[in-house]
Amino acid sequence: MSTVLRERPAELRPTGRDGGAPARRAVVRWAWRMFRREWRQQLLVLALLAAAVAGTTAGAAFAANFPASPTAATFGTAGDLVTISGSDPHLHADIAAIRRRFAPSQVIESQTLAIPGSAATIDLRAQDPAGSYGRSLLALVAGRYPAGPDQVAVTSQVASTFGLRVGSVWHQGGHVRRVTGLVENPQNLTDEFALVAPGQVSSPTQVTILFDAAPASVAGFAFPDGAAAVARPTGTKGISFSVGLVLVLDTLGLLFIGLVAVAGFTVMAQRRLRALGMLGALGATDRNVRLVLLANGAVVGAAGAIAGAVAGAAAWIALAPAIQPYAGHVIGRLALPWPAIAGAMVLAVLTSVAAAWWPARSAARMPVTAALSGRPGSPRPARRLAALGGALLACGLCALVFADDNGGVALLVLVGMVATVLGLAFVGPAVIDLLAAAGRNAPIAVRLALRDLARYKARSGAALAAVSLAAGLAATIVIALNQAAAQAAQTTPTGPNLPANQLIVYASPAGPGTVAPSQTAAQQRTLGARVRAFAGTLHPTAFVPLEVGVRRDQGSYQEAIDTIPANYEAAGLVKSVSTCPPPALEYAGPAYLATPALLARYGIRPGQISPRADLISSRSDLSGDQIASGVSKGCGYASGIYYLTHPVIQTVASLPAYTSDPTTLITHRGMRALGLHVAPAGWLIQTAAPLTNAQISAARQMAAAAGVVVETMSTAPTLAALSYWITLAGLLLGLGVLAMTVGLIRSETAGDLRTLTATGAGGSTRRLLTAATAGSLALAGAVIGTVVAYLAILAWHRSALYTMAHVPAGSLAVILVGLPLAAAAGGWLLAGREPPAIARQPIE
Amino acid sequence: MSEPVGFPGGERTSTVSVLELRSVSKVYGEGATAVQALRGVDLHVEPGEMVAVMGPSGSGKSTLLTIAGSLEDPTSGEVLVDGARLAGMSRNAKARLRRRLIGYVFQDFNLLPGLTAAENVALPLELDGVRARKARADGVSALEALGLADQAGRFPDELSGGERQRVAIARAIVGDRRLLLADEPSGALDSATGESVIRLVHAACKKGVAAVVVTHDAQLASWADRVVFIRDGKIVDQTAPPPGPESLLAQGPRS
Repeated sequence: MSTVLRERPAELRPTGRDGGAPARRAVVRWAWRMFRREWRQQLLVLALLAAAVAGTTAGAAFAANFPASPTAATFGTAGDLVTISGSDPHLHADIAAIRRRFAPSQVIESQTLAIPGSAATIDLRAQDPAGSYGRSLLALVAGRYPAGPDQVAVTSQVASTFGLRVGSVWHQGGHVRRVTGLVENPQNLTDEFALVAPGQVSSPTQVTILFDAAPASVAGFAFPDGAAAVARPTGTKGISFSVGLVLVLDTLGLLFIGLVAVAGFTVMAQRRLRALGMLGALGATDRNVRLVLLANGAVVGAAGAIAGAVAGAAAWIALAPAIQPYAGHVIGRLALPWPAIAGAMVLAVLTSVAAAWWPARSAARMPVTAALSGRPGSPRPARRLAALGGALLACGLCALVFADDNGGVALLVLVGMVATVLGLAFVGPAVIDLLAAAGRNAPIAVRLALRDLARYKARSGAALAAVSLAAGLAATIVIALNQAAAQAAQTTPTGPNLPANQLIVYASPAGPGTVAPSQTAAQQRTLGARVRAFAGTLHPTAFVPLEVGVRRDQGSYQEAIDTIPANYEAAGLVKSVSTCPPPALEYAGPAYLATPALLARYGIRPGQISPRADLISSRSDLSGDQIASGVSKGCGYASGIYYLTHPVIQTVASLPAYTSDPTTLITHRGMRALGLHVAPAGWLIQTAAPLTNAQISAARQMAAAAGVVVETMSTAPTLAALSYWITLAGLLLGLGVLAMTVGLIRSETAGDLRTLTATGAGGSTRRLLTAATAGSLALAGAVIGTVVAYLAILAWHRSALYTMAHVPAGSLAVILVGLPLAAAAGGWLLAGREPPAIARQPIE
Repeated sequence: MSEPVGFPGGERTSTVSVLELRSVSKVYGEGATAVQALRGVDLHVEPGEMVAVMGPSGSGKSTLLTIAGSLEDPTSGEVLVDGARLAGMSRNAKARLRRRLIGYVFQDFNLLPGLTAAENVALPLELDGVRARKARADGVSALEALGLADQAGRFPDELSGGERQRVAIARAIVGDRRLLLADEPSGALDSATGESVIRLVHAACKKGVAAVVVTHDAQLASWADRVVFIRDGKIVDQTAPPPGPESLLAQGPRS
């Protein structure tokens, strides 16, 4: 028998080996339709990608907007500025000359005003609100700008300090001014000033002239002595370092999410295996099959990226006003770093596509018959992954240890973090095997739950890694917060000057580093008793007298130090500064006497102090500094001062650093070398809780009455409060991951549930099954996350282990017990429905 | 007889059968766990012929079908589809063969969710490079031929079992398919619907399509031109093929 073989019609000839663009369009269309139908099953990956992009969007916006711009806060919109001291004998003539040469220009006059009872000062500022360059430095909050000679507008902090409000009258230094409004400097919200109309500052301390001029024109002009024109620094274009850092962290996060996504897409490939097999049976090539899952990955990535960017931008827009007080300047809600956001979105899509690659490759390589039968490939042994995970964890922790040893090398920290996160992900499946083994003799529902976790390791392992990461992040924040609190307990500051629970009363009205020369011993005792009585009202946890060394021949060198009030003196640190005129020395802070009480305050035994030490300090930047027998508030050390040019400095880490706290102490040896004697300088008062505004106000009143001054923390609040929300967010993220994973696993095992029901298991068994699945995953995740977090922080902060002596038991209990309990309770409450009757659905 | 057209990717022989299995054996597993699914099976299916394969569970019926459809390779023996030898073909070449020449119908329909009935039918054409609009039009035509024109825009989960199977058959014969392989096509349907499905397969054969139908139902098998019985991987019996016109001519005039 013979047959006639027909020629294939021309239009059926392939346009390419894989059917060309029509075939690709067909499979992509199917992938898109499947995503629309089954996006809920991919919610975990979607949510993680969206969270990463949202975090990056908000984080990059934060990084771009949070740091204050000194340039904008100083120059306004001007390109140049010149500052002239108020002591310039030809001030008005000089101002006029500069204005003539560099018109248009704007003059801002400032006069420093003391706050009664405080070491702090405010600025009385004469500035035209409609000025050509300084408009961006002023904003009206309430009322109106001052227009006449007896009018003033104040910042809210000044209003609070002096008890003013719009319409009230301010008596200040013999002037009576009516408050016309509340103002602020949008570029610097910590700028405390009182605004008056131009020309209303009678004796300015400083005059600033803003203008725009060509560099050659500025260079060719002879500015008055002591005044120098400064050109606005050129801004950097592109993505700033901090925004770049956020993008690096985003990449790290996406790396982890990519791992979770691989597992998620593997699950999706398994769910669609029979459909993919059918596609192969219809004649789809391997590339076509691969494209289905890659297209799904791209769609998931794009959806997550868009959702994340929108959520992140919305969160930023909502939170920006709340962040302003922390930033210290007004933040534009729509000032978003678009290139960084676009970068994060592209990264998210790439991560998702890359994560889909491996499942796509596996599915495409699977024999069509195996795919049609819906049989998954054999799972990889967990032992190999666990070994890899263990090795990565070890490498990560070692990198963090080395980073700590080498002063926190960024690359080592980065490598350590990446390796630790990857290691954490890879140990998950082995831990699940251990859980299943541990539950051998548990009740049937628990046993079944643990075995199901082991059976569906692809998704439970990924979920465990995600829960571990969420719990680990929360634990890291809790531990870091506790560490910060421990450092605060060691009086390490959280702000630029003092911790929130500290207050220093200076015995001298001239403030830090000075002593009042005219006080008799009796007066000193009276003042001490008064301060102690006041401290008693604060219920202090510490009350430490501060003493400094002063010269016996006081007064003999006062002529050489004309910038300091007469007869206020104490020994002080001196450093060389290039901007100082010869002899190029500048006061760099007080050196308090290393008294036994002060040493004990910081846990230092006298025996720890070297007999050769002149100074002990927590600072590592003192090398090359000198110690002088007197002080100057600026440049101006000259004759009559004794110096130790190469003091022996002993570094003691437990002393606080970079604050008004006693960072550097002078020993009796140093005192002897400089011929100093001891004088009281003040008292350090520490309370259990942060000082309230009422307590600070009471301290200022006491100080004003006693003729001394107090210093408290700067008014900018800390970000610590936000961390609690971040901890809560970590817990919620963990619970969200659990909810989705447990839902997936339980839906996969619906057949088992039906069998259980058919054999007589009731609702409580089904509830216990779900609760055990969720609870065990949460417990394992919480334990792994917390242990890894602790190990990582220990490795990274090995040199400051003393700050970790106190374990934040309460917070960790919330993570280790609260998270599993919440997960188990949620599982119990949400489970218990009768399983659907149909045992198996066809692929459609 | 015209000279056969070579199928890209496969060595073409001068055979005339649409499907030809020569001494095909298939072994799953190795050693003690090895299972002999097929043992030296020979089978020829001519254009327009409908062959029913019957046999108990585990006898190798489905394996026969998957090997015939290039979804699996035989352990030994040779398979030719439309004259093209499958041995040595790449995966892509086999995929091309399937989308051009072979149509599958499964017991549980296996329509792709997310695609409408028309899109499901048009899918093999689109995979072969036909533009979406043309493929869709061909798909709708195929559905019209099976009385499903009004269901073209519906998704699989909106169709009844019989409608789904008819869509699957339309997908299997759309374009220029020459071999239809059906594995228990009526297994999930009631007897009346099952018979209507077999009628459609039979009608396709009347138009020149060769069909191999695996079934347990003797009544449905009776629609076939030939019934092959298979047991323990071997063809143990088969009904005689109906005499073709050539054989009648060869007999010469009756006396």
